[in-house]
Amino acid sequence: MKPWKRKFIHRGNKMKKWTICAVVLGLLSAAGWVVVFAQEDQYLERLDSWAFESPRRPGAVFSHDDHIMDLDDDCSICHHVYEEGELVPGESSEDYYCSDCHSLKVSPDNKMPLEAAYHNLCRDCHFDRGKGPVLCGECHIKE
Amino acid sequence: MNSFIAFIMGPMVWISAIIFVGGLLFKGISIIQSVRQKEPYIFSYMTVKHSLRSMGAWLVPFFPKSTRLRPVYYAISYLFHILLFVVPLFLASHIVLINEAFQVSWPALNDGLADWLTLLVIAALIFFAVRRQMVPEITYLTSAIDYLLILLVLLPFVTGFLAYHQWFAYRWMVVAHVLSGELMLIIIPFSRFSHMLTAPLTRAYMGSEFGNVRHARDW
Repeated sequence: MKPWKRKFIHRGNKMKKWTICAVVLGLLSAAGWVVVFAQEDQYLERLDSWAFESPRRPGAVFSHDDHIMDLDDDCSICHHVYEEGELVPGESSEDYYCSDCHSLKVSPDNKMPLEAAYHNLCRDCHFDRGKGPVLCGECHIKE
Repeated sequence: MNSFIAFIMGPMVWISAIIFVGGLLFKGISIIQSVRQKEPYIFSYMTVKHSLRSMGAWLVPFFPKSTRLRPVYYAISYLFHILLFVVPLFLASHIVLINEAFQVSWPALNDGLADWLTLLVIAALIFFAVRRQMVPEITYLTSAIDYLLILLVLLPFVTGFLAYHQWFAYRWMVVAHVLSGELMLIIIPFSRFSHMLTAPLTRAYMGSEFGNVRHARDW
């Protein structure tokens, strides 16, 4: 038998109990730390999720003003217009709700359901620009 | 940082999936080949009927005699193995990612329920670790690698639980979650986790030998 294996098997009972105690204590203190530091009140500007029937997550944290500034007033980057699956350059759609085109489910008129439209538009742009949140809970911060 | 996340949630998922599937395939093929070389007569009494009968018998909870001898352990083990697959595969957040990548989707577990089931998986893993310390005949068969493997399964569930609750260091928790999940997939073909492939092979062999040679049951 390999020496490191032998050492493991013949370790005393006292040692084992201490190991278990240490592990349990460690887990408990980690849990306590989590509970204490979890409470934190904050106000965050969010997207309104009224268009979704029963959203599982709170509306994404989003500052319209910051985005206008970062995108040099080019509204059409987010408020885009697609015709027959093709992006119409220069056209913008600020007067419409996202959900006017992006229905909740895929349909012949709409290839991109509302949830995926938001996720792809926000996340892919953040990835492309190397800037902004990209993980689920970075936008859908718990209320 | 975003490009690192893009890598571990993009190409790295493919790399680990390929190692996972390819590794298991390679393992399966090499097992069958080595049987063909060393003990080809086994195939003379292997039958589909006896193989499936044995697998079926061992899939019914507490049907095999030896599972009734250790009911607590087997109850936890059954539950653990089901949840190990059900919780990640039917988790809403995972389904959203799969839907956006492949445009396929299926019903998801309620988040609150999934949260409790995750805790059950974690509890079961802690039970397995403690059992290895407490039961002498199992301690005798245990080496450091067994605890390491338990830790490897524990990690994606613990980090996933903490990430869902967004309690602290969310970004790092998700990175740890993704990486530990991928590590687990990669390790499967090269560790005892490959029993997800070899366990059915064992049942096929035992079922055929007991059923077709000894005319006995193997459960």
